[in-house]
Amino acid sequence: MFFLLIGLLVPWLLVGFGSGTFYLSIIISIMLWAVIAQAWHLILGVAGIYSFAQIAIVAIGGWVTGVLTVSYGWNPWLSVLMAALAATLAALLIGIPSLRLSGIYVVLLTLSFHELLANYATTGPYLISGGGYGIVAVPHLPIPELGSSWQVGAYYIALGVFALATWSIWWVMHSPIGYACMAMRDSETYAASRGINQFRVRLVLFAFSGFLTGLAGAVLTNYQGSISPSIFEFTVLINVFAMIVIGGWGSFLGPIVGAALLITLEELLTQFAGYSALTLGVLLVLMVLVAPLGIWPMVAKIGGWLAGDEDADDESDEDGASDDPPHEEVLQ
Amino acid sequence: MTDIVQALWGGILTGSIYGLMAVGLTLMWGAVRLLNLAHGALYVVGGYAAWTFVDHGVPLVLAVALAVVATGAVGYVMFLVVIRPLLGRAMWDAASIIATVGVATGIQALVLLVYGPQVKKIDPFLSGVYHWEGVAISRQGIAVTVIALASLLLVYWYLGSSRQGMAIRSVSQNLDAASLMGVSVHRTYAIVVTLGAALAGLAGVVLSSILFLSPSSGFNPMVIALVVTMFGGLGSVKGTIVAAYLTGIFVSVVQVYAGAQYALPGLFLLMMIVIVIRPHGLFGRAPVQRL
Repeated sequence: MFFLLIGLLVPWLLVGFGSGTFYLSIIISIMLWAVIAQAWHLILGVAGIYSFAQIAIVAIGGWVTGVLTVSYGWNPWLSVLMAALAATLAALLIGIPSLRLSGIYVVLLTLSFHELLANYATTGPYLISGGGYGIVAVPHLPIPELGSSWQVGAYYIALGVFALATWSIWWVMHSPIGYACMAMRDSETYAASRGINQFRVRLVLFAFSGFLTGLAGAVLTNYQGSISPSIFEFTVLINVFAMIVIGGWGSFLGPIVGAALLITLEELLTQFAGYSALTLGVLLVLMVLVAPLGIWPMVAKIGGWLAGDEDADDESDEDGASDDPPHEEVLQ
Repeated sequence: MTDIVQALWGGILTGSIYGLMAVGLTLMWGAVRLLNLAHGALYVVGGYAAWTFVDHGVPLVLAVALAVVATGAVGYVMFLVVIRPLLGRAMWDAASIIATVGVATGIQALVLLVYGPQVKKIDPFLSGVYHWEGVAISRQGIAVTVIALASLLLVYWYLGSSRQGMAIRSVSQNLDAASLMGVSVHRTYAIVVTLGAALAGLAGVVLSSILFLSPSSGFNPMVIALVVTMFGGLGSVKGTIVAAYLTGIFVSVVQVYAGAQYALPGLFLLMMIVIVIRPHGLFGRAPVQRL
């Protein structure tokens, strides 16, 4: 219900922004990165799998659409769809081995995958690497001119993607598959004893997340008109990671809030270039020390407490302890 | 014939560097169960510290030593501020990753602010190349190999023969037993993190004399170090050293026979295969059976 309200509000906000495209472009950015953050959060926060392959999958989505439109003259709509499918395939390819590994090895596997793709994107055949500069002159998604600028059309596309992603993620999180994943995250033994086929459930989640990620990545590339290997940089990866950590780990709205916060922060601090990254690092550390579940769960709790509502945690699912802490005895 | 020898020599040099890069990581994982994603940033700290000292006229050897100490200090601060508060908390796995990532981001940003984005380089202190049977061996390369090997052996000896080293090993093997035996776990953690950071600093100095130095140049070596550590067996210093040399030789061979652009992709591809087939690596203990 809360979600529906937001969905209704946005088109009205849009009318006000018809004149200035700057804020519009920021909102488009926020929406697309929010999809990427949400999709990653499905794997990280809901299923509890420490996959760092997210940016690599975004890149695959972006590159597929870029190569198809620039070098093969495909219709951008088709190439975006193809990109999403390719990303799904990639997510599955990475997901299958990851699912058999325990926590930390997934980090290593996915980081290796990330670096592998980064290397390939920079030094690979010209078709893909563009001599190390990536792909440029990617055409925008064709849509009739609405309002004063093409950005308005782009906004609706981004809004569509965002709405589709957010709605379907909400649906999945509250579906049997979602609950199964959360059960596995919190206690694998118990979940298995209840008959949850962890492999299949996680695989479905990987594929679903991959599709959305690739879709967002492709739309982003068509919107920006280019994609380059700089997307593989540590800072980009950490930016999205921070959206989840700072926004809310384990809660539905968290990553969206995180995306909005972080992109806004970046815009505000562009004058003090370099300080945004520093702030980010400090924020991450502060977050993990003070509010490990992120901002949104805290806000939701405070809001619920203010409203005198005991069951305010309906939207924010608490992240349970997944393993026995290795240092428990030390602090005695 | 010369190709093979050249590849072997390159492999030994690369392996020595990988060993330096990875040993700190494996120590921190083995003893503290910490996946230190700030390791790359620590390389960068070491490199920039050395560069700064050299820039101010400090003789190279002293500059390197100071840089190593400085990086160790940074590691210690990281332990105090970020790691120690998290010990014993329920979400250690995720929290430690987030925390070290935050530290890495912060360090990278600070370095960028202070030094600017231009790439820097530390000049090698030995010039000249030996030629032996048609194989080119640089003096700098020999020096680096000797330094790295010496450091690695020193660490290995320290762990095996010194009292504190035994404490570190005992904490890695069985935390509760170690603590019951009177080992100060917190102090051991502090020492491990500081030592690991110092090693990373040394690796950073070496890396910046061979490659280049920029705020973001730590990420790629860190991922390499991570996979080398995994290959050898997370937590096993001996395994890490062996794995480092095997990996170094692999990379060097690929470079010589297939071309430089395939070296790193080949490495990551190989590592991905190894992770899937044998995640506990060469010398690690096999994980408990999963449901």
